[in-house]
Parts: sequence; structure tokens; C-alpha cells
Amino acid sequence: MKLREYQAKDVFRRYGLSVPPGEIADTPEAAAAAAARIGTPVVLKPQLGVKGRGKAGGILFAEQPADAQEAAAKLLDAEIRGERVRRLLVEAKENITEEMYAAVTIDPAAKRPVVVASRAGGVDIEEVARATPERVLKRPVSILDGPSGEDLAAVAATLGSDGAEAIATLYRIFAECDAETVEVNPLVRTGSGALVAVDAVLNVDDDALFRHQDLVAYRQEIPVEDPIAEQAREHAWTYIDLDGDIAILSSGAGLTMAILDLMQRAGGRPANFLDTAQIDDEGIYEAFDLLSRAGRPRAILVNIFAGLNRCDRLAEGITKYVRERPPGVPVVVRMIGNREQEGYRILRQAGIEPVAEIEDAIRLAVQAAGGAS
Amino acid sequence: MGILVHEGTRVIVQGITGSAAAHHTAVMLAFGTQVVAGVRPNANVREVHGVPVFDTVAAAVGERPADASILFVPAKAMKAAAFEALDAGVGLIVMVSEHVPMHDAMAIFEHASACGAQVVGPNTPGLIDPAARCKIGFVPSDYYIPGPVGVASRSGTLTYEIVARLTRAGIGQTTCVGVGGDAMVGTTFPEIARLFQDDPQTEAIVFVGEIGGSMEEVVAALVRERTVSKPVVAYLAGRNAPEGKRMGHAGAIVAGGRGSIASKLRAFEEAEIPVAEVPAELPVLVRRALGLEDGGP
Repeated sequence: MKLREYQAKDVFRRYGLSVPPGEIADTPEAAAAAAARIGTPVVLKPQLGVKGRGKAGGILFAEQPADAQEAAAKLLDAEIRGERVRRLLVEAKENITEEMYAAVTIDPAAKRPVVVASRAGGVDIEEVARATPERVLKRPVSILDGPSGEDLAAVAATLGSDGAEAIATLYRIFAECDAETVEVNPLVRTGSGALVAVDAVLNVDDDALFRHQDLVAYRQEIPVEDPIAEQAREHAWTYIDLDGDIAILSSGAGLTMAILDLMQRAGGRPANFLDTAQIDDEGIYEAFDLLSRAGRPRAILVNIFAGLNRCDRLAEGITKYVRERPPGVPVVVRMIGNREQEGYRILRQAGIEPVAEIEDAIRLAVQAAGGAS
Repeated sequence: MGILVHEGTRVIVQGITGSAAAHHTAVMLAFGTQVVAGVRPNANVREVHGVPVFDTVAAAVGERPADASILFVPAKAMKAAAFEALDAGVGLIVMVSEHVPMHDAMAIFEHASACGAQVVGPNTPGLIDPAARCKIGFVPSDYYIPGPVGVASRSGTLTYEIVARLTRAGIGQTTCVGVGGDAMVGTTFPEIARLFQDDPQTEAIVFVGEIGGSMEEVVAALVRERTVSKPVVAYLAGRNAPEGKRMGHAGAIVAGGRGSIASKLRAFEEAEIPVAEVPAELPVLVRRALGLEDGGP
């Protein structure tokens, strides 16, 4: 879960990390009122899930509340990097003397947390790291012990002692929120010498949300991008919407990706896919139901490899769905694994001829959808 | 020989009283795996399919020494269960569950490394050595036969598809390891490549890779520098995956060009590793790698 900036700053504030005074506004009038309360000049920042809003011209400044109202009118409802702006964070504009970078993230190759610090903040840090790697400090940290004195001393040498304290706080947030990434870019020094987190990123591991009810509450404020994907997620399934006309119901992520590849080679175009991993007869019924909500494809391809589950049960689930709620388009079922023959018998009784080879199933589905386009 | 497991490997099953665990205990026993004990705190059964059940891993290995543990425990309970096994001195742990929190996985990896233990997974169907009749996990053993090819994969069902084709083509396997589909896994492709390189029985290595992460690129580097000199053949899933979407495996996400199919294909090409365009092509490439005629084994 990617918290929005204002939510991440909420968390930062709880941990004693300094952030600019700010308010959320979802109308131009509210933005003007917020600017008046906070004191001008202010900055108006769209609250989005995508990155790069600054480069896209999405961050505006206002000298007066009336300017803030005008700026907000421009930003609200605009589309930035494919996402509609619904909320703005109106914040005091800081008097910045220096922009730095501070983050704690996971290095999947090292399989450890890594603290990252640089004096070159306010810009694309990956670009800085590519061009001038010596300007970016990266230290892998023990997940069991947290940052050592040496780790923090190295950060202090880069960002100063208060910068090291900020990193220590970010690490506490990282550890206590099960974060994938917590990032401040820029971490600024103001005219008065204080350190302030002007931006905030906090991405939390979805698989750890069960122990963070406080963070789950933030999810309700984040608009759902794809309701079907959201429902799939509730089942621990994966749904991805694509552009074509063949719906795919499959088990196993690697195999599903291979099916997409094979289908493209065969001239077919996947409409979407639903990867359900291991399911039973009721599960496959619900999976069909979920796919049906994505609109009507021109064919449905079902691929089942029954390792933990049984073909006969799955065949019962499929035939029950097709009987009760005929999808109105051809359904191609490829099925192998436990109790395969029993499964085939059940499918045949319902008028579905099972297919044993994946390539054959894909060919049949592409033909059923109107052939290679 | 093979890697990670052998004929005498003694296995415990953590969470043995769960229905999937109990079922697969029976399946593993039937295949020939030496399942010596099960663990389930406060269980009201004394044994499952003839395997004695203990309260703790320490109690289990105290009476029935074991080399490996398979953890059929929920993702939320994985860290505690894995630490219990590692603290009891178990040298290989296999974590089947998907959705283990990343911080827990990192803690397990770090503790395992301090204990000198090997971790396979999470999010893995396990591993199998057909010659040693040892399987730890739920891979369907019908598709596997003994032979000279080592297989490592990030995927479950895709691997069964691919190994089934190798087997049908008469090409058997030393050890097949599902390393797991998560972004971070305990035993990585490069580590597996080194293990297969050192295994006298393995004559060629197959990697079933996918988009995301950098394991495939690191394997290619090992091949280029000849650290791995045995022939390597690969298949890659996700050529048509949309950028920025998590493709069902937490590890399979392409963001900002990193982990892209192009990067992996380029690395394999530079290392002269043949890549099968479709699964059906893999047996042909493997046979060629083994120096066999294309006509048959």
C-alpha cells in the first residue's frame, strides 16, 4: 500500500519528524481557507499514487489565499500521469537553504534493509546515483539489530548529526510500519537551521497489513483504481486488466505469464487474466463470477493444473457456473492433474470438451475469439 | 547426488496436522521421503500417517534427528516457526506459504545465514530429487524422472509444465528446486547455479526465470566468467507483461526498465545461454546442451 503524501506525513509527525504545517483541500475554496489559516506563501500538491507530479507541472505555489484558490481550481480534477487529482495538500512554503535526501528501503538482492543518504536532494536520486555514485551513501543494515553506531556515524558524515537522527527515526518508521520504502526527498534545511521533511513517501508491505490496523484505515481514503483487482486481492488472487478480447483464468503466476506470451504468439489478445493459485469448486465459481464483471470477452480460456486441488471438483465448479449463468461465449478448458479423467467426464457431460495441451487450448481460444487478428 | 537433499535426508513437517500438510505428508512418504517427525503445538493427535507429532521442533529433533524441515504454516506464523527450526539446528528449511511479510522474510534469511542454514522459499512448491526419492514440498512427483539435468524455477505450475516436457522427451533430472516467486527468496538462482556446478551428477542446468529482480542477470554473469561452466538453458516468462504491474508473483514486476525481459534476454545472449522461445522448445535446447542427437535420447 502506497500511502499518500499527507498520510505519510501524518505518520512522520507521530514519530517526531518535522514536516511543514499543512491541510488537505478538495475544493478551491477550501484551499484558499487553508492558505489563510497556514499563512502564505503556500505550496499546493496533488495527492497521487504516481510519481513525477513535479516534473509534470503538478506542483503550484501561491502568494495569497486568492492565488491558492486559482491554483487549486487548475489542479483539481486535472489528470496528472494518468491519475485524476481529487485532493491537494496545501502547505507552508519553507525557506529552503539546502536540499538533501534520506531513505530506508529494501535491497532485494542483498535481502536486507538499506539506508540511503545524499546531500544531493530534491532531484531524481536514481539519476544522481547513476551519474555520481560517490554522492549517494548506501549502507545495508541488519534487520535483526537495526542500524549500528557505525551506520549512523556514516550517515552523520554525509547529512550531519541531525540528519543521522532523522535517518534513525525513518528506520523506526520503516521497522514499525513494515515498510518497503520510507523516503524523504527533499529533506530540507531551512533558514532557521531546522531539518524539515518537505516530501514523504511511505510504502507498506501489503502482506504485513494484518498487524497494522492503524495503517489500514488510510486505505479507505485512497481511491480504488480497479474494483475487480481489489476484489481479487481480497481472495489473495491477482487480476490484471489488458486490452484484448480473451479472458484468462489460470493458476500460478509463472504459468499465467507464459500463457500470455503464448497467446500473443498465436495472434490472440488477452482481455485480462485472473491468477487464482490453488482453488476448489466454490473458488472457481467465484472466479468465473469475478471475471464476468470485467465485461464480456469473446472467449474464456481456463487453465488448471491440479496439484493441491482436484480436477473433478474444479470441473463441477465450472459446469455449475456455466449451467446457472451461461457466459454466452465459448469456454475452453485445459485441465491436468489430480483426478483428471473424472474431471474430463464431468466437463464432457456438460458439453465442454477438455483439452490436455496448453498450446491446443490457446489455439482453440484464439479461434473461438475470431481467429488471429 | 543432486543438490540440497540426498537419499538419507530426514525431514520434519511443521504444522503437520493441517489438512494440506497431512495430505502432503502422506504423498511425500509414498514417494520415499524420510519424514521422521511432525510438529504442532498442543496437538490432540499423537501421529499423522504414522509420523509422530511433537510440540516443538526441539523436542522432535531431540528424539528424531532431522536435516530439513518443511513449514506448512500460515504466512503470519512463518517467522516464529522458521526461527524455531533454525534454533533447533535444522540445516534446511522450506517455506511453502505465499504472502510472508518482507520484514519477516529478511529476518529469517539473516538468522539462517548466522546459523549456517539454507532457506528455500518462501512461496515455493519445494524441491525434489527423483533419484534419491526425496521430495520436500508439493511438487507432483509423477512428472519427474532421474537424469542429468538440474532445474531451478521461480514458478510452480509453469515448472511442472516444463519438467513434464523434459520427462516426456526422456530427459531426467538431478534436483528440481522451486526457489519461490517472491521478490526475495532464501536460495537464489546464482546460489543454485554454483551448487549444480559442483554436483558431479548434474550435466546441464535449466533456469525457468521470469521478469523482475536480477537473479537471471547474475546467473548470466557467472556463466560469462566461467564460474559456471556447465551448459545452461533458460526459459523466461513475462515477455508480454505490462510494465509496472505485479504479475501475481511479488517478484515479477517491471518498474523503470529494471528486471525487464529485455535486460534478461540481453544478459543471456551475452553469456551465450540459449533461451527457449516457448516451453516446447526447451527439451530440444536441453538435448543439444547435453550433446545428444536431436532425434532422441
